[in-house]
Amino acid sequence: MKIPTTMDDNSVSHHNGGQVGSQIGVSVNNKQNDEPSQNVQYSIPGILHFIQHEWARFELERSQWEVDRAEFEARIAFLQGERKGQENLKNDLVRRIKMLEYALKQERAKFHKLKYGVELQQGDVRPPPEEPAPDAEPAERAHFKQGRQLIKQYLQEIGYTDTILDVRSNRVRALLGLNNEETDNPNYRNYDKQQHDRCDYAMNHMARKYDYGGKEPRKSGVSGGGYNEEGLSVQETAAVFANFEFLANQEMDMDEIDDLDAKQSHHAVGKAGEEVDHEAEEVLNELNLLTESEADSGGQGDEYTVGASGAGVGGVSVSGGEGEEEPLALGELAQLTVSNEPEAYDVAQTNKEAFRKTWNAKYTLRSHFDGVRALAFHPTEAALVTASEDHTLKLWNLQRTVPAKKSAGLDVEPLYTFRAHTAPVLCLAMGAPRSEELYSAGLDGTIRLWNLPPPTADPYDPYDPSVQGAVLRDHTDAVWSLACAHGRLLSASADGTARLWAPRAARPLLATLRPEAAPAAPAPAPAAADFAEAGARAAVVYRDGSLIIYDLETGQVVLRVGCDSAATRVRSHPTLGVAVTAHEDRHIRFWDVASGRLAHAMVAHLDAVTGLALDPNGLFLLSGSHDCSVRLWNLDTKTCVQEITAHRKKFDESIFDVAFHPVRPYIASAGADGLAKVFV
Amino acid sequence: MTDVQILRRNRPGTKAKDFCRWPDEPFEEMDSTLAVPQFIQQTIRRDPANLEAILKMPEAQDEGVWKYEHLRQFCMELNGLAVRLQSECKPETCTQMTATEQWIFLCAAHKTPKECPAIDYTRHTLDGAACLLNSNKYFPSRVSIKESSVAKLGSVCRRVYRIFSHAYFHHRAIFDAFEKETHLCKRFTYFVTKYSIISKEILILPKLDDEAPITPAVGESDA
Repeated sequence: MKIPTTMDDNSVSHHNGGQVGSQIGVSVNNKQNDEPSQNVQYSIPGILHFIQHEWARFELERSQWEVDRAEFEARIAFLQGERKGQENLKNDLVRRIKMLEYALKQERAKFHKLKYGVELQQGDVRPPPEEPAPDAEPAERAHFKQGRQLIKQYLQEIGYTDTILDVRSNRVRALLGLNNEETDNPNYRNYDKQQHDRCDYAMNHMARKYDYGGKEPRKSGVSGGGYNEEGLSVQETAAVFANFEFLANQEMDMDEIDDLDAKQSHHAVGKAGEEVDHEAEEVLNELNLLTESEADSGGQGDEYTVGASGAGVGGVSVSGGEGEEEPLALGELAQLTVSNEPEAYDVAQTNKEAFRKTWNAKYTLRSHFDGVRALAFHPTEAALVTASEDHTLKLWNLQRTVPAKKSAGLDVEPLYTFRAHTAPVLCLAMGAPRSEELYSAGLDGTIRLWNLPPPTADPYDPYDPSVQGAVLRDHTDAVWSLACAHGRLLSASADGTARLWAPRAARPLLATLRPEAAPAAPAPAPAAADFAEAGARAAVVYRDGSLIIYDLETGQVVLRVGCDSAATRVRSHPTLGVAVTAHEDRHIRFWDVASGRLAHAMVAHLDAVTGLALDPNGLFLLSGSHDCSVRLWNLDTKTCVQEITAHRKKFDESIFDVAFHPVRPYIASAGADGLAKVFV
Repeated sequence: MTDVQILRRNRPGTKAKDFCRWPDEPFEEMDSTLAVPQFIQQTIRRDPANLEAILKMPEAQDEGVWKYEHLRQFCMELNGLAVRLQSECKPETCTQMTATEQWIFLCAAHKTPKECPAIDYTRHTLDGAACLLNSNKYFPSRVSIKESSVAKLGSVCRRVYRIFSHAYFHHRAIFDAFEKETHLCKRFTYFVTKYSIISKEILILPKLDDEAPITPAVGESDA
């Protein structure tokens, strides 16, 4: 050991040298002579004191490290969750692209069959097996092109020329264009129409060509040869991109038309006009020319060559442009897929890997005018009730959805709006065993009973006053928490009490639970309460961070434990004797309710933890926080399994509540942004 | 680890009197997407009677969003009037949505408008407004609103106003008590007049006591 001359300030100077281990047995006086610079008296008590002091310091540091470590672990879990999300997204994109390619091939084969009555030789048309992913390396790309050329040669031999390709491409475009009803770009419409015309023309053309037998195709093959290469190689991609362009609406259409324009001027048409109208006119002219020539032709080879090369120009112009566009187009593609219902695919994916379920947002419940403070699922149905600061509660049936935009998941409209509270509603409980029973309580201090309307109710039915049940008015301040079990109700209020009720009884108030505090001190306010041990006890957490277990028979305090940070929620584990508490210091703590031991504590979020829910089997824990995220925890390993960013902030609040459906695979979150979200 | 920064939060266990009792946040410092409703609610909490202050639009604020958020706030607070009406306005006594003898309103919440009893009309109108104002189709964002959607606000305002007029002419005690507490009808009238959202002829309530004369802000309502 060395003399800690560089010891930090908080260790007192007279301890210096005290831990020179080899010298402990040596006479202290001798030592003093040897080291005059340190004129310190060594004594056994001094040394021991120093060692103790150091030990305490190390312990302190160690505990700090542990805290840090826990924080980093939480951070890692968070980042891993994010990475997983990104991976899912990537897989999804790749899958979509493959699907599109496959669909295109199918379509092409079908078209071929319809057109010629024979099966397309798929072997020739099928893209090479090593077909690169859209974001493939350039090297791979070259390989891809080689394969293309080879196929092209085959195709030429069987008379599958660029004219046919052009027709096909036009047809595909036309079909896609027809799907795109939303577009309100007149230029595009023109273009589309012309494509149609051209397409039809080219088809007539081809039919004749086939009458002429093998001679014609070769000719057009020669004439179009210069373009052939490009025209074919980008054929498939062009069509795919066309598809995406239409989805992305006009922007790309415009690009494409511009490209067409540019190319045409390049191909000896010689006009450098950039306006789209201008270009459209040009195409029209070309078309007229072709039509005239067809009318005049009487089937002479030359005209067909012209026609073919004209069509070839069209094909090349599009394809060449596409080739250059590719990286950009992929950028668009990526965005497109992100915005375009990734959920649906993720859902499919999760069904496959049921052993490791990933939850995805499916329903957004928007109808509240202000923050949603609480939510509760129906005990059996796919329905839930939300309670909001806008003074109302709303009932939602997840099986009655309204079609929404693709990107937005499903929208649900509320079935019923419960109006009676005169202040923000803060908490909710759905009644068991009577499933049609609902309790709510709020800032107005009242607890209200509701008879749930049937899930078939129409929001615009006549008003039925019988939905409103009894009102429990014993609390004298805001009621912040409700829990319901075995026909009894437990409430926690800012008036300092938690109360037990038999809501339907003539005298509903069964017990008032107060901590036996010193009479002088103001009673700490309970923040939340839950039943524990099969309804025999109540776990109540307080603003001062304490957790008190009451015996509900006697109303006596059985156990009192605590920590420094204000508690926000408490939930009892359904099978184990564990109470889970959420705290403002970002922690979730697990308490053994029998012994009062702190079984586990973890930094769970980046901000105050506000919502807790345990799944019915007690395997998973769901937590929500003002850091805008909902996290799912494996209770066995206490690790974060999934992290979902769910809500936006209003002032400094974000998520108020989370919930598990008792029997169905739904979870939900409620937020200050006035939305509730349901995940499947 | 100590937070000197104010956290504007209602923590579980907060007493009713301390709910939302935090220092005002200047509008410029609100960086959330919900800055406008935050600001509106904050101003109302400070003094619900100060209509000028409540309806004074911050500079550089998008007017569509401003109007939209105010209408949301109106509909939300009107729930309070509906709650009071529920206890008195029965389908048996108020079989139609009337205001004086002259006006009968048809409920637009149904496929074909029908003569709902007043309490149903009130509820349906508020539910319908909640649906429309939260519609992902018309109001997908709360920071920018399409011009075509802003136009929808007018019809909501017209229907919502009828709730005031019914309460005023047929449940005057409730109306007065509610108005005394919230100044909501005065604020609403001020709002629709200032932004010329509904025409003066439809505003059938007589001028309420101590109502300030309103000069429509010509420049502002052009958009």
